Amino acid sequence: MKKILMLVLAVSSLGWTTSAFSAEAHYKIRADGLACAYCAYGIEKKFMKIQGVTHFDIDLKKGLVLVTGDENLVLKEQQLKKLFNDAGFTFRKIEEVKIR
Amino acid sequence: MISKYLWKVITIAFPAWLFLTGSVFAHDPVFSPGPHVLFKDGVEIHAGATRDKQDNATEDEQSLAFKYGLTGDWVAGVEIPYERSKDELATQKGVGDITLSTKYRFWRKDTMGAQESAAVLLKLKLDSSGAEVSTDTTDLMLGFTYGYESLKWYRWASVRYRFNQDRGDLQRGDRLFVDMAIGYRPQVHDYRAPDTVLILELNGEIRERNALNGVDIGASGGNQWFVSPGVLWTLRNFAVKAGVQIPVYSNLNGNQPRSDYRASLELEWYL
Repeated sequence: MKKILMLVLAVSSLGWTTSAFSAEAHYKIRADGLACAYCAYGIEKKFMKIQGVTHFDIDLKKGLVLVTGDENLVLKEQQLKKLFNDAGFTFRKIEEVKIR
Repeated sequence: MISKYLWKVITIAFPAWLFLTGSVFAHDPVFSPGPHVLFKDGVEIHAGATRDKQDNATEDEQSLAFKYGLTGDWVAGVEIPYERSKDELATQKGVGDITLSTKYRFWRKDTMGAQESAAVLLKLKLDSSGAEVSTDTTDLMLGFTYGYESLKWYRWASVRYRFNQDRGDLQRGDRLFVDMAIGYRPQVHDYRAPDTVLILELNGEIRERNALNGVDIGASGGNQWFVSPGVLWTLRNFAVKAGVQIPVYSNLNGNQPRSDYRASLELEWYL
C-alpha cells in the first residue's frame, strides 16, 4: 500500500513538473483553397521545416491549419502569406490559442 | 542491355528536366489534365501503367515520371516510358521517347474549402529513342485546363492540341483532345485519413488525316469519344489513380481498328 502511494505521488509530481515548466505555442490559421488532404501536403511539409514546430494538422471542414510548437515558436503574417502562396493556397488570418 | 539503355536515357533526361517545366498528373482526372500543380520545391514521383486494346492488338506502356515545383504555381517534369505493342504478326518493345512537360497555373481563386483555377501546359515528346516503338519524331502539345475543387464536388475541362511532326514522306495529322470531367467525394475525412474521389470523364480525340507525299491516306483520321469512370484514392502524400476508357462514339475514316478499351493505373508520391 505504501509502495502504491509513493508511486502515485511520484507520477503526479512528474505531471505537475511537466505542466509547470513546458510551455507550448498553439496557432490556429485560417486558409482558403483547402479542398483535399493530398493537395495540402505541401503546407505540412513547409511548416515542419520551421524550427520549433512539433505538431501539424488540418481541419479541412473548417479551413483551419493547426500548428503546435515549442515556447519559442513565433509565426508572423508576412511569413505565412509566403508559405501558403508557395504551397498553392491563400493565407487569411492567424490566431494564437491559449491553453491553460 | 535494357538497363544500360535506360541509364543512358535517364542521364540525358535528368539535365533536361532541370531546365524545362511541367505537370499533367497530381490531383487531376485520370485521362485528362487539370490545373493542379505542385508546391514550391516539392518533388513528385509518378509510376504509371496503361493498356490500349484494339481488336487483336494490344499496346502496353509503363512509365516513370519526376516533377519539381518551381513555384507554388509552376511545375516541370520528365517522363520515361517503356512500351510494348503486340498484334497477330509481331511484338515490338523498348524504352520509348522521353517527354518533357510544363504547367503554369496563371489564375487561382481560393475560397473556404474550395479552389478554382486555370493553367496552360506544354509537352514536348522528344525523338530520343532508337527502339522500334519510337515515332522518330519530335511532337509538341499545347493545352489549356480549368478546374474547380471543393470538399464535395469537382469539375474539370481541358483542350489540348498536338502538332505531329512529319516523318520522311509521311505527313502525320495533328490531334485535338477535348475533355470534361466531374468528381465526387462521398465522405469528407480528417487530414490524415484515406480519401476517395469518384471521377467520370468524357474524353474526345479528333484526328486529322495522315498523308503520304501530299496524298491523303484513306484509313486515317476521324474522331473517337470515350466515357471514362475512374477513382482517385489518397493517403496524405501518396495517391493511386485508376480508370477505364470505354468508347461510346467512333467516326474513323476507312478501315481503322477501333479501341475496345483503354485502362490506366497510376501511383504518385509527394516528397
